[in-house]
Amino acid sequence: MNLERIPNEEKLSLCRKYYLGGFAFLPFLWLVNCVWFFKEAFVKPAYTEQPQIKTYVKRSALGLLLWVTVLTTWICIFQHFRAQWGEVADYISFTIPLGTP
Amino acid sequence: MGPESFRWSYLLLISLFYSYVSCSSVEQKIYIQLNNTVPCVRLLNATHQIGCQSSISGDTGVLHVFESEADLEWILTNGPHPPYMVVMEAVFFTRPTMMRMKNSSRVAGVAVISSSTAPSEGFSPHTRCPNQNSGVYGESYGPELANCNNTVWNPLGNNLSYEDFAFPIFFLENDNQTQVIRKCYEDHNVRVNGTAPEYPLCAMQLFSHMHAVTDTVTCMRRTDLQNSFSINPEKLCDPLNDFNVWASIRPLNSSIKGHKENESVVIAATRLDGRSFFWDVATSAEGTVSGIVTLLAAAQALYPVTQEAPPPRNIFFTFFQGEAFDYIGSSRMVYDMQNAKFVIDMDNVHSLLEIGQVGLRNGSNLWIHSDPVSRKNSSVNEEVDKLVKNMQSVASSLKLSVEEPGSSQALPPSSFQRFLRARPIPGLVLADHQSAFINRYYESLYDTPAYLNLTYPPDLSPEEQLEYETEAAKSLSEVATLVARSLYTQAGGDDQFLSNITADTKTVAKLLYGFLIKSNNSWFSSLLPPEALGRGSILGTGAPQYYIGLRLDNTVKSVTRFVQFILANMTGTVLSLNQSQCQNPNSVPDQSKDLYSYSWISGPVSANGTAESYCVRASVRLSKALSPAFELLEYGSREYSTWTESRWKTIGARIFLVASPELEMMTLGVGVAVLIVSLLVTYFISSKAELLFSSTREAPATTY
Repeated sequence: MNLERIPNEEKLSLCRKYYLGGFAFLPFLWLVNCVWFFKEAFVKPAYTEQPQIKTYVKRSALGLLLWVTVLTTWICIFQHFRAQWGEVADYISFTIPLGTP
Repeated sequence: MGPESFRWSYLLLISLFYSYVSCSSVEQKIYIQLNNTVPCVRLLNATHQIGCQSSISGDTGVLHVFESEADLEWILTNGPHPPYMVVMEAVFFTRPTMMRMKNSSRVAGVAVISSSTAPSEGFSPHTRCPNQNSGVYGESYGPELANCNNTVWNPLGNNLSYEDFAFPIFFLENDNQTQVIRKCYEDHNVRVNGTAPEYPLCAMQLFSHMHAVTDTVTCMRRTDLQNSFSINPEKLCDPLNDFNVWASIRPLNSSIKGHKENESVVIAATRLDGRSFFWDVATSAEGTVSGIVTLLAAAQALYPVTQEAPPPRNIFFTFFQGEAFDYIGSSRMVYDMQNAKFVIDMDNVHSLLEIGQVGLRNGSNLWIHSDPVSRKNSSVNEEVDKLVKNMQSVASSLKLSVEEPGSSQALPPSSFQRFLRARPIPGLVLADHQSAFINRYYESLYDTPAYLNLTYPPDLSPEEQLEYETEAAKSLSEVATLVARSLYTQAGGDDQFLSNITADTKTVAKLLYGFLIKSNNSWFSSLLPPEALGRGSILGTGAPQYYIGLRLDNTVKSVTRFVQFILANMTGTVLSLNQSQCQNPNSVPDQSKDLYSYSWISGPVSANGTAESYCVRASVRLSKALSPAFELLEYGSREYSTWTESRWKTIGARIFLVASPELEMMTLGVGVAVLIVSLLVTYFISSKAELLFSSTREAPATTY
């Protein structure tokens, strides 16, 4: 879909849908939202719906950042301590690499 | 034009075909695959992992042939091209060398070339106290005898088999391919006057990546987890398992488990397996085969007499599998007896006679070992004394000398210990050693037929070798006679029949040949069922190997099969049944599958090439030799064996030439540079296309 061709009200509702959808543990929607609406929010000349789109994009970016930090921290901790945790780590793993403790 | 176009398409076809073929030949041009290799693999128990492994894509190193101790310094400190792949003759494969390499990061792997001469000072990669933690002695039973405090059974043991190496170690058969390796080394890697060789260098890559890790508990847990919810479940390790073989003089109804009324049995036992450092290389001549051959010959000698004059007690022959790994077979049989899952239970056991290592007595004494702890009980002591007296009187009539090693000495490592763990039954272990093993190559590569003095005159054909009565055969047949007569008296048989019991030296000779030199011989194939021969024959090409291994689809290890059918032929009767009756004997009156096993045997091949098959009825059966720990799902068991073998995908070895790292980096750099330049040029051309191609372009009317 090309954002150039749709009216501003629809842009806003689309951005809003993506923003709300991200709360269903779908940080990728927030990522898409940020990338897709970045130009609309910050580059395009001002129009009525722009401030609201701006807010949604900012919040999506914030949420995304939060997700990235949390996931990175957890992955680092898990990968580092997996061998040490032994049994517990095996039960919370989906795939276990072969031949490594 | 016709022939011309035909020729062009022909050429195109050829070039396509050639490019397809050359794909594989590029690999062939780079690599030389090595066949005839045996890896050292990872085994795990409740607490440890032992053995070796490579990384998942194989470990590569510059070849260095280990020819003297000075090479070790070169490999570990001076050499400029680490990591090294060390190729060594078996004589250099010692604990100090291997441990120094283990602790170095400059070793990528080791390939050991077999050698026919054994080190005279002895070599045993096993522990000094075999099966230390799974025998009978411990805190609650003879603590002063625990951990070989009293006698170190295998003083030459250096524990190498129980180390965990982080690099692959392979065993290479000494043949043409080792010559190729040496040539590659001499052409490229040899130092000239102590200066480092120039690139390109000869390198070797070994693949033996193991899936299991840490210990049995971990790998079994992960296997179970994978099986419960993975889309593509993958097993990581399997318990070592196979089958015990047992037979009795009077048939026992195998459909009824548990205690048998009015049945008292004398157990005659020996072990069926051995091991070495490497996977599935275990000739175990003295360690295992001497016992198997002795017991089989004794069973054959006993059988006719027990049919004519049956002794009051039954005689029960057992061959235990997996004894090298914490008594897998015997612990399972005892467990089954205790839980009424076996044809007899512990109450039915009168006494036990175990054949240990008996091949190296060299005309001197045999020793009968007994357990000093259970002999503190006067009734057990009385029984044991009786057994000893019986045996000694039999021995003196055979002009053999059999002695007790002293009343305070513990039992050597033996299956009998697992019976004593359950109950203090009277029993003896017959062996050629008074205290420490005479065997200087216990559980090693060098425990070969040559060590048993099994040598043949040079000009004999295989058939003549099979029949040739070596000194070893004569010696073992004396032991077999002793065992057979002792068992007969132990079972309460009358002394007047003893002189009729004599083991046949010719049979012993043939058994030794089949179990140690070549199982694919006319005698073995005449004793096996037809389906075991032919395609996928269990006979194999060389000598059988005695490492227990594991059975993935309920097949039986070939050695176990040999023992089963040889025992069936030796203690069975030939019936006049045809093949279908033999396979389904319940339809024939007076025959019962519960009492006997029926096997259709190929029979000897006559002169015109046809075999006379026949049906044998015997009381020979197999019973599972899988540690009870895996039945009880106690993978961390301290009571039972927990040995498992890791799974793997590829085992392989290859050699090739490597270029210097500078050349490799330069090639890569040039490649990347060409890529970038071509991208830039393409971009430039496409952006200036209007300008560059304007003159030739004929204003295309394309609209999008």
